[in-house]
Amino acid sequence: MGYAEFKAPKGVIKVELELTNDAISQVSISGDFFMYPEDALERLEQALVGVKAERKSLLAAVQRFYGSTGAQTPMVEPEHWVEAILRAAGE
Amino acid sequence: MLPLRVDDAFISMAIDEALLKLNAESKSPNTIRFWRWLPSTVSIGCFQSVEREVDLEVAKRHGVDVVRRITGGGAVFHDHDGELTYSVVCKQGDVPDDIIESYRLICGGLVQGFERLGLRAEFKPVNDVLGNGKKISGSAQTRRWGSVLQHGTVLIAPDVRRMFELLKVSPEKISDKFIASVFERVTTIERELGRKPSFDKVREAMSDGFRKSLDVELVENKLTDKEVKLAQDLRPKYASEEWLRKR
Repeated sequence: MGYAEFKAPKGVIKVELELTNDAISQVSISGDFFMYPEDALERLEQALVGVKAERKSLLAAVQRFYGSTGAQTPMVEPEHWVEAILRAAGE
Repeated sequence: MLPLRVDDAFISMAIDEALLKLNAESKSPNTIRFWRWLPSTVSIGCFQSVEREVDLEVAKRHGVDVVRRITGGGAVFHDHDGELTYSVVCKQGDVPDDIIESYRLICGGLVQGFERLGLRAEFKPVNDVLGNGKKISGSAQTRRWGSVLQHGTVLIAPDVRRMFELLKVSPEKISDKFIASVFERVTTIERELGRKPSFDKVREAMSDGFRKSLDVELVENKLTDKEVKLAQDLRPKYASEEWLRKR
C-alpha cells in the first residue's frame, strides 16, 4: 500500500493505493477538497483502477472522468489528482 | 428564518439535510437558520477519513462528538461556547450556477453581518470570509436534487488550543511557530472587537446582513412537522459508525 498527500490550491488530496504490475489495483482518495456532485469521487476511484501508474495514462483517465461525469472541483485540476496518485505510487 | 437552536451534531446535520430535501421537493421554503452545537463537535468533510483527521481518543475524553457532513471541505472544531453556525437552503436556480459565485452571493450576507458588528469584512474564494484580513468564517456547500445547502461557521470565540488537540495536525506542524502562524491567519469576533458579543447579537447582525445582501424579507417561522419528522428519520445515519467511517 502506497500513501501520499498533495496540497492542491484548494484542499489536500490524500491517496492510498495498491499497484499490481505497475497498474492501480486499488485506490482510496480522501481529503478536504470540494467535488460536485459528491458521489463522483467513487467514480473517480473506479476510473483509476486498471490504469498504469504513469503521468500520461493517469491524466487521460482523470480527464475522461471529468468529461463523463461533468464533476466540478473548484481550484483542483486534473493534474493535481495525477500528482497525488504518482506520489502515492512512488512510495 | 428559524429560531436559534442548540442541538447535538447528529440532529443538526439531519435538519440541514431534511431542509435541503424538502426544499428540492418544494415542500419547504428557502430557509436561513442559525444554530449552536451541544456538545461541542468536530465535523469532518464528506471526503475525509475520520481516522486521519480526528484524534478520537481526545474527543472521547473531552466529551466532544464527531460527525461526518454531507458537504466537502475540512475538519472543523465547533465550540459550543465560541461558534454560531448558519445554514442557508434554497433552490439551485436562486444562486449562480458557478460554484464560487454562489459562495460569494451567500457569503455576502456574512460579510455584511460582520460589518454590522464593526469589522472590515470580505469574501475570499472559494469559501471563506475574512474579518480585518484574517479568516473568521468558513463555509461548505452541497447541491442535491435541485437545491443548495450551504452551512458554515461564524467564529465568535472558539477554543483554538482545544481545536489543535482534537485535529490531527502533522507532528512537525504542532510547534509554537505553527500555532502563531494560525493566529496570524485566523481570527475571531472576540479578538477583533476586544469583547465577546452575545449569540443573539451576532445572530441579529448576520440575519440583517442576509436580509440586505440577498434583498429578501425574512419571515420568522418554526420547523414544520414534515421537517422535524424527516430530520428525526435521518438522525440515525449521522450518529452511525458506518457513516462516520465511510472513508
